Amino acid sequence: MKCEEAKELFPLLLYGELSFDDEELVEAHVADCAACRGDLRRERALHRALDEIELRPAPEILARSREQLRRSIAVAATRPSLWEKLRRGFTIHVHPIPAGLQPVGALALVAMGFFGARMLPPSLLGSRTNEAGFAAPFTSRVRYVEPESPGKVKMVVEEVRERSLTGSVDDQDIQNLLLAAARDPRDAGLRVESVDLLKSSRECPEVKSALLYALQHDSNPGVRLKALEGLKNSSADPDVRQVLTQVLLADDNAGVRTQAIDLLIQHKEDQMVGTLQELMRHEENGYVRMRCQKALHEMNASIETY
Amino acid sequence: MPAARDIFHLGPSILLLQGKMEAVEAAGVAAATVQMDESALIRAAQAGDAHAFEELVRMYDQSVLRLALNLLRSPEDANDIYQEAFLRVFKNLHTFRFDCSFHTWLYRIVTNLCLDALRKRKVRKEEAPVVETREGILDRMDTLEEERADGDPQRHLLSRELQAKIRDVLAGLTARERLVFEMRHYQGMRLRAIGDALGTSEEAAKNCLFRATQKMRAALGDFI
Repeated sequence: MKCEEAKELFPLLLYGELSFDDEELVEAHVADCAACRGDLRRERALHRALDEIELRPAPEILARSREQLRRSIAVAATRPSLWEKLRRGFTIHVHPIPAGLQPVGALALVAMGFFGARMLPPSLLGSRTNEAGFAAPFTSRVRYVEPESPGKVKMVVEEVRERSLTGSVDDQDIQNLLLAAARDPRDAGLRVESVDLLKSSRECPEVKSALLYALQHDSNPGVRLKALEGLKNSSADPDVRQVLTQVLLADDNAGVRTQAIDLLIQHKEDQMVGTLQELMRHEENGYVRMRCQKALHEMNASIETY
Repeated sequence: MPAARDIFHLGPSILLLQGKMEAVEAAGVAAATVQMDESALIRAAQAGDAHAFEELVRMYDQSVLRLALNLLRSPEDANDIYQEAFLRVFKNLHTFRFDCSFHTWLYRIVTNLCLDALRKRKVRKEEAPVVETREGILDRMDTLEEERADGDPQRHLLSRELQAKIRDVLAGLTARERLVFEMRHYQGMRLRAIGDALGTSEEAAKNCLFRATQKMRAALGDFI
């Protein structure tokens, strides 16, 4: 290979985009050619220089973009394209309204929807009965109206329902609700209670996933501890052990790490040695360190790596 | 009882109008998003699960914003690309048929928007965006120091002159060269994936990258 040919391939070499054979040829050439070694060093320096001007969006910019997107999507969801999906199920036929009166009619519909939802008894607004036999009152609010062709109007109504449910935690519908509540970002107390209730169904794969998710991702340590409680009889399960290991090394709450190490060392496995040695390097909590040391000692492993 | 989780929940709320979705079912769909893989998330989002859609957005939106920011070097323009791209995803997700990866599909949308923005900028022959400060007019990217990928000032070894030179060279690339370079160098995408996203071949993407790096080497060789 000639110097010019090799030099042309340097960028692709650095990006790892050369075929095996081409890479071998270039590297062989560079090994024998001092001038090309210098050029390759300069090519690497150019790469580093390019790396240094990279911009990454600040977290607040990303947060603002996400918030704006939420608002845009809320608006887009009320636009006609989505309406087409709804019209089959919700088209109101009325007598033709003169064009000049259409805005007045639209306003009247908004007022009817808004006040009607608040002033009429729930039974007149409509109700449903769930499988458990409870009536379900709901309130509604007209979010959007648009006169369509003569005699028709488009509306989007937002409904909020509340209902009381009583049932077994093993009931699939109840369990689905608990799983959703266990991830409700607005209410940590609700998540704690939900995870606590779900514990009894930990054999169910969805519940196990929810407990593992809560343990790994929930921002509230109380929820994470509840999830740990739910997993305490599953500490031999490889999925559970994998998450416990991550939590042990990364969770910022000493109570959570304490519970995690207690569960992990119930089953001492050779693969744990590296994790425990890694833990010894940065763990500051005395109890966790003590448990970790004891486990390493029992496994005839050194306390640290050298 | 939890009400709508967030504004993305408007989709399922509206579906209530059809009388097809009981509260229990709605919660069930949301719960099922726990640890969904990407295909399951897409299918759930296509079925109107707003929570799944939000998770899908969050899987990719940081990369999209970063690509747009580096290409356009303006936070406002990058945000415009972000908004338009994910709004198009929202509106057209029902047409996604799993013929390609979601990443490729999304990046087709994003790269088209970026190419349009870069071309418009070339047509307008815009100067680098500037901002007025007490010290006078500065390149606005210089005001975003805290957003740089590497926050350690000691590692910012490049002189401002060289940084400005690099930005000039990048701005001088064609829109396609610029896009291919950004996707390969900063996003770490393979040339095959870049070709897929741009609707061209791996070879064409490779040629584009080759031209871009040649131009940079020619312009910056004396500075490195």
